[in-house]
Amino acid sequence: MTSIGTGYDLSNSVFSPDGRNFQVEYAVKAVENGGTAIGIRCKDGVVLAVEKIITSKLLKPGANKRTATVDRHIGIVSAGLVPDGRHFVSRARDEASSWRSVYKGPIPVSALSNRLGSYVQAYTLYSSVRPFGVTAIVGGWDSEAELAVDGQVGSGPESGSGGKIQGAKTGGPGLYMIEPSGLYWGYYGAATGKGRQAAKAELEKLDLNSGNLSLLEGVKEAARIIYVAHEDSKDKDFELEMTWISSLDGPTKGRHEEVPKGLLEEAERAAKRALEGEDEEEDATKGDANDSERMEE
Amino acid sequence: MNHFPEAWGRPRDDIYGPYNPSYLQTTGPKTHTQSPAVTGTSVVAVKFNGGVAIAADNLASYGSLARFTDVKRLRKFGESAVIGFSGDVSDMQHIDRLLESIDIRENYSTHGNTMNAKNLHTYLSKVLYKRRSEFNPLWNHILVAGFDENKKPFLSSADLLGTTFSAPHLATGFGAHLAVPILRRLFPDEESIETASKEQAVAALRECLKVLWYRDARSLDKYSIAVISEAGIEIEEDQQIEAQSWAFAEAIKGYGAQVN
Amino acid sequence: MTILTGQPPSEAIGYSFAKATSAPVREHSFYPYTDNGGSTLGISGSDFAILAGDTRSVAGYNINSRYVPKVFKIGGDDETGEGAHILLSVVGFAADGQALKERLDAVVKMYKYQHGKSMSVRACAQRLSTILYQKRFFPYYVHAILAGLDEDGKGALYTYDPVGSYEREQCRAAGSAASLMMPFLDNQVNFKNQYIPGSGEGHALEPKKAEPLPRKTVEQLVRDAFTSAVERHIEVGDGLQMMVVTKSGIEEVYYGLKQD
Repeated sequence: MTSIGTGYDLSNSVFSPDGRNFQVEYAVKAVENGGTAIGIRCKDGVVLAVEKIITSKLLKPGANKRTATVDRHIGIVSAGLVPDGRHFVSRARDEASSWRSVYKGPIPVSALSNRLGSYVQAYTLYSSVRPFGVTAIVGGWDSEAELAVDGQVGSGPESGSGGKIQGAKTGGPGLYMIEPSGLYWGYYGAATGKGRQAAKAELEKLDLNSGNLSLLEGVKEAARIIYVAHEDSKDKDFELEMTWISSLDGPTKGRHEEVPKGLLEEAERAAKRALEGEDEEEDATKGDANDSERMEE
Repeated sequence: MNHFPEAWGRPRDDIYGPYNPSYLQTTGPKTHTQSPAVTGTSVVAVKFNGGVAIAADNLASYGSLARFTDVKRLRKFGESAVIGFSGDVSDMQHIDRLLESIDIRENYSTHGNTMNAKNLHTYLSKVLYKRRSEFNPLWNHILVAGFDENKKPFLSSADLLGTTFSAPHLATGFGAHLAVPILRRLFPDEESIETASKEQAVAALRECLKVLWYRDARSLDKYSIAVISEAGIEIEEDQQIEAQSWAFAEAIKGYGAQVN
Repeated sequence: MTILTGQPPSEAIGYSFAKATSAPVREHSFYPYTDNGGSTLGISGSDFAILAGDTRSVAGYNINSRYVPKVFKIGGDDETGEGAHILLSVVGFAADGQALKERLDAVVKMYKYQHGKSMSVRACAQRLSTILYQKRFFPYYVHAILAGLDEDGKGALYTYDPVGSYEREQCRAAGSAASLMMPFLDNQVNFKNQYIPGSGEGHALEPKKAEPLPRKTVEQLVRDAFTSAVERHIEVGDGLQMMVVTKSGIEEVYYGLKQD
């Protein structure tokens, strides 16, 4: 079990006799210390949320974003080493732009996740590099409408392009999580970072695979889950960062954007109320919970 | 197969006839675009009190052939800039994709669009100048309409050589000959531009396009018109030239009924 | 390929090849220059230098714009040119002029950042020559004039050909109406063909000695030179932009010219 002294953890890409790659496992450890990040795939969009631990009072509130936009329609949050996360995002943007230069249209979320998975995996293969110290959640919306090709000048033939199945559904929400090993899966709800266990437990309660949760409900739930996951590290201050991507007829029109300030604050208030509700039940103390909440605000 | 490896894969004269060698690689200079292929004609634009109006017809010609009749030559950038393209349509598409990638990158920062029409014009003129300096020009003449950093109406031009100039009324191609005099007569000085209403500007452009439709053989009676004001961009892409009067043509030999 | 008689038919087939010499060498049909017309004029005095240019921009017989400056402040502290002490005028191909101005401006700014002092006009003049010569085989198609004050506080004027050959002069006209203005300046600034009355007969007649003129006189000469050029040259007109460098900085004045 123990690897101490065996030497199989000293170089990247080296297997131990029992088939493990220790450097990758250490990278996972780095992720497990990062602020909780989650993503929820709703029926009409995707929500991404991250618990940004405030490491210093000298940092400007609201600055140093941990969520990032890729192309227009994809967002990425990550847990783990922040600089690794930034490089990961930079690569994602390059991939998205190279996709555009070849296919003259936005990259599907699945294709981007696949390319990023391959990229991260490559960092487990060579002794000259170390694996990514991040687990990233990639969320986005593939257009459900027939998109114009980039730079298209006319409206094209009126009868529509050939080879299409009429009425077939295209596009929709996409949510993927990519781990330091390069492993990636598609998820209904994804969680990583310090509070992932609590977050996963909460996500499972949401019955996401039935596809009934709306984006607006998703926003509320995401805020609540980050607050629940934060319970275990209550001594540290944090900021909740939340972004979303809706369908074309939704509030963001298929674009990845920050959740508006008003809605974010409303979701945070609801999250705090829900948490205190739980406390009440556990502690069986009544009456002054609401008052203390108001005082906090 | 014969004994001459250099002949393998070459067209046989007895089947294809002697091949026209002018199509084969010669020792001439490296050639980039030497002439445009599918082209758009004039773009016309004028400033007014509080904004800029810009218009172009929906035609893309292939030489004298009216090839595509639903081409949008006015392109939006962000929420307050429109670019009107004349010249090569494929080069326009190339520039359009360039702009798209800039717009995507701009939106990575949370404060959104920072490039105004003036910045955009500077950028595009440098792209055009760089390409002409590489002897590989982007065969376009563009007008950029929008606002400058002080929120004042901005209208400026850049062409395939990288030449730039700004004026209260501008037109490319045939429009430089036919539309600019009309606009200069309607709005002769700074003051008339500063007091011109949006409606007056739009009416003036429609009039210019009508004259171009009468006289420019590479023009179309379907056109797009955009108005950029503080309220944002209003763009209409399927306009029709109305109230045409071809009476003037009767008197012209070879134009109307009088043929010989 | 030779067709050998008596060979089997398969060997007698002719094939087509590229003929390296048969196709005529194609020349580039893209011409990377244009002439945007207009004229510039510089005169130096004992403690000042003046650079002036008309503001018309043309393309063939078209007027692109009535206000496109040809005189620029170089090495200023901000985009308005505030704090500059060197002037540059460019006339010819406007896009090259713009590029040249921006390069020189960057060079003069870098000089100040790196050395902590302003670049002397003499150093700037030499540098401009180098920049122009670097593009000896694809020149900046412009006639440049550089103006400022020299180390002794006297007006300094440097004039250039497109490939960087330069000299310091009292006075110079450049651009499309140069040949109209230059003889006038020879006579009025350098007193060519002017003699001291009664100083002698025939070859003994003593020429009038040129000496630096007062600023008021020079400004009037510049205005006269341009108003006259407007009358006789179609590419000159619309506005006269005049910049004066003195030890207290740069003053800019604008006069309207005829727009016909």
